[in-house]
Amino acid sequence: MTTTITEAGNQIIAQFIGRLDTAAAVPAAEAVKPLMEASNREIILDCSQLEYISSSGLRIFLSVRKEAASHGSKVIVRNINADIRQVFMMTGFISLFEIQ
Amino acid sequence: MEALDFHCQLILEEYREALPALERMKEQVTATLREALERNGLIVTAVEARVKTEESLIGKLALKGAKYASLSDITDIVGARVVTFYTDDVDRIASMAESLFEIDWQNSVDKRRLHQLDSFGYNSLHYICRLPGYDMRFELQLRTTLQHAWAAINHDTGYKTGVEIPREYMRRMNRLAGLLEMADDEFSRIRLEITDYRRRVQTLVQNGKLDDVMLDGDTFRSYLQIGPLDRLNKRIAAINQAEIQEAPLIRFLRVLKALKCTTLGDVDRLIHRYEEDAYRLARHQLGNTDLDIVSSAIGLQNICIVCILSTGGGKIGLERLFDVLNGRNSQNTALAEMTYQQALNLSFMQNS
Repeated sequence: MTTTITEAGNQIIAQFIGRLDTAAAVPAAEAVKPLMEASNREIILDCSQLEYISSSGLRIFLSVRKEAASHGSKVIVRNINADIRQVFMMTGFISLFEIQ
Repeated sequence: MEALDFHCQLILEEYREALPALERMKEQVTATLREALERNGLIVTAVEARVKTEESLIGKLALKGAKYASLSDITDIVGARVVTFYTDDVDRIASMAESLFEIDWQNSVDKRRLHQLDSFGYNSLHYICRLPGYDMRFELQLRTTLQHAWAAINHDTGYKTGVEIPREYMRRMNRLAGLLEMADDEFSRIRLEITDYRRRVQTLVQNGKLDDVMLDGDTFRSYLQIGPLDRLNKRIAAINQAEIQEAPLIRFLRVLKALKCTTLGDVDRLIHRYEEDAYRLARHQLGNTDLDIVSSAIGLQNICIVCILSTGGGKIGLERLFDVLNGRNSQNTALAEMTYQQALNLSFMQNS
């Protein structure tokens, strides 16, 4: 599992590649720390290469959302696959995130 | 530069020397006001402050310099202004200022009370204040956004006093001031009535008179405060011993209206009618997973899904639900299809 952060204009894009399971959650949480400090930005959680997300992964997304909101930033989850979409639906997380 | 006499030159020198201290005072006044507004939960349009420019001071001294013995006699060298949304807030902030600063009552003016019965004009409250520990006084202006707009445009005409302005324009500016005063009063009245409406709704909700309350954003929030979905959410969370993350439910208002709920009573009946099937849907979806986190929207989301499917809304109905909850996008078609397939084996689908 790798997480890369890039910037483009007002956007900060975190790209998740692989499986965001319990073991991968600790390094992923460390990797997304720069997102937590971004003020008035659009934060994209790019999941086009994310294969799986566990509860630990959902918690990381949630932390990013909470911190982003407190800094006036907006979070968009982008390009989730069918399995992850199902996870978001079953947990009620589709009402928490803007998913594109 | 206009020629100043020796006395005024001395005041100007005094100003130049005091400038750094005046800037510090300006900053402290602004910080004190902002901090107190936040502490008192008062939301305003603007808090601003300035130190009078040298050019403006020279103009003032040239006009009436003999009136001042020293710089400290000029009370508006530092000026602060709070612009409020509502007229009532001007009085609230005035009371706040009275506790924050020493008020020089002799020189403070409530222009709102100076008006003659047959005249309109610029209404604002001017306090001459002193920060504890400072010798210099400063002027604090309190006005509403509409008063501020009027004053700013009036100032833009270039006439500093009412005497200078041609009579026809003065009459038109005063007509506008009267109109804005009425608008200010109406805004305050609307705020008061909304507060009163919310209180009445809360009482009706607490007394269980849900059929008497029409469904809207305010009433829905009041209804949610009594926790009508808590039991269902806890049951769903218990499937995997999950934690519940709070989520805003206001997005469901549009869905509930589309499901023909017009009163809170309708919403309450909808919840009770579909609660059990909503739980079964969650158990079917979550039972084979190790997901131990859910949002507090899950209960109402599943109730809406069950209601749509039970009443023949099918995949299109689900897609519309997700369009509202998630914003319209291409993924919602697949989400609707997947949810539909998951629900197919549940008992409520057999009867639909």
